[in-house]
Amino acid sequence: MNRDLELAHIRELFLNAPESETTRLLAMIGSVALIAIVLWLVRRRVLREEHTPIWVGISTALAIVSIIPGMLTTITQWIGAWTPSSTLFFLGEVCLVLLCLSFAIRLSKTSIQLKALCQEVAILRTSLAEIERSAKV
Amino acid sequence: MDSSGDRDENSSVPGRRSSKVLIVMPARNEAPRIGSLIQELRTRVPHAQVLVVDDESNDGTPEVARQAGALVAELPFHLGYGGALQTGYRFAAAGGFEFLVQLDSDGQHRAEDVDPLLSHVQDDSCDLVVGSRFAPRKAPAGEDAPAAYEMGALRSLGRQALCLFARLGGLRVTDPTSGFQAMNREAFELFASDWYPSDYPDVDVLLLADRRGLRIREHPVEMRASPRPSMLHSGWLPVYYAYRMMLSLWALSAVPRVKAVPSLEAAASSQKEKE
Repeated sequence: MNRDLELAHIRELFLNAPESETTRLLAMIGSVALIAIVLWLVRRRVLREEHTPIWVGISTALAIVSIIPGMLTTITQWIGAWTPSSTLFFLGEVCLVLLCLSFAIRLSKTSIQLKALCQEVAILRTSLAEIERSAKV
Repeated sequence: MDSSGDRDENSSVPGRRSSKVLIVMPARNEAPRIGSLIQELRTRVPHAQVLVVDDESNDGTPEVARQAGALVAELPFHLGYGGALQTGYRFAAAGGFEFLVQLDSDGQHRAEDVDPLLSHVQDDSCDLVVGSRFAPRKAPAGEDAPAAYEMGALRSLGRQALCLFARLGGLRVTDPTSGFQAMNREAFELFASDWYPSDYPDVDVLLLADRRGLRIREHPVEMRASPRPSMLHSGWLPVYYAYRMMLSLWALSAVPRVKAVPSLEAAASSQKEKE
């Protein structure tokens, strides 16, 4: 009984610890920079537009969390984690896994298209050779 | 042998000769064997066009095949057996062919079996016929008859597992890994589509065809022992293989099912048999 109380007290301490201003500032700069880089890459035609929503989404979410004070603590309480930093890691991991999955899907799609193109090239070359051969005769 | 004998008589019907037939042979480094096989095919099945799909050979296979009188489709990069085979299906679909025969270029499938195999689809008794080493020679009903083809214990076990697997999917076959097949346009158009599992075509191809309502039949053939080990026992982990099969069976359940419609002729002949 005593121990449970102690644990609850420790958790309270973690949750109510004042957020470090430096960390928040860094996160803000980081998220704004990420948005800027994404937009710049689109402008330079390096990143295709259809790939941008996920990146803009992630950097906007990061910006919101870092700008609004207490947001991260609230989310931590919702999901039952102990420290805001573990919440951040958890959400980051979820984002990365989803990103990987979306890349795997795109890769499969591209390889199917590549296979079809490869077959098509072989077929067209064959017909072309046939046409050239019959033209010679 | 006698079944192929009366098939040969059928094949001399003039209507059958005029149909457009494509023989597809996926090949990778088969230069020593492929030339004579093509020549034999051209004498035995003179009305058919032979297409060799060359999957990045580096021993001059395409030149040998061309010399022997085959059309050659050279893939720009390596696609593997399934991708090469599908090139043949797509060629046939685009080229207005009516029937397609596929056989391996390594000489394990015999040219004299092509015509009997073809006759099954040409007289419209089925859409896809598989050349089987283990199909019973005479009576089509019943369990596996003892066959001449020798197989190691491990491979035999693998084959039985695949047969069982096919039966799970609702299909009775005796030689599920046979790459010796003949089919009509309906079948190769299905295989030319993206439904075709071109990464590792296997029993799942037959299950796909069955699911799409194609009538599948087996025809007994003899095969020479392949000079090279097949995919199945070249270090493939059986566990991984089983996993892959389970996955593809599950994936097949996403394919819309089509009920087989027996052709008028087949229905009529089966009624006659009943009488």
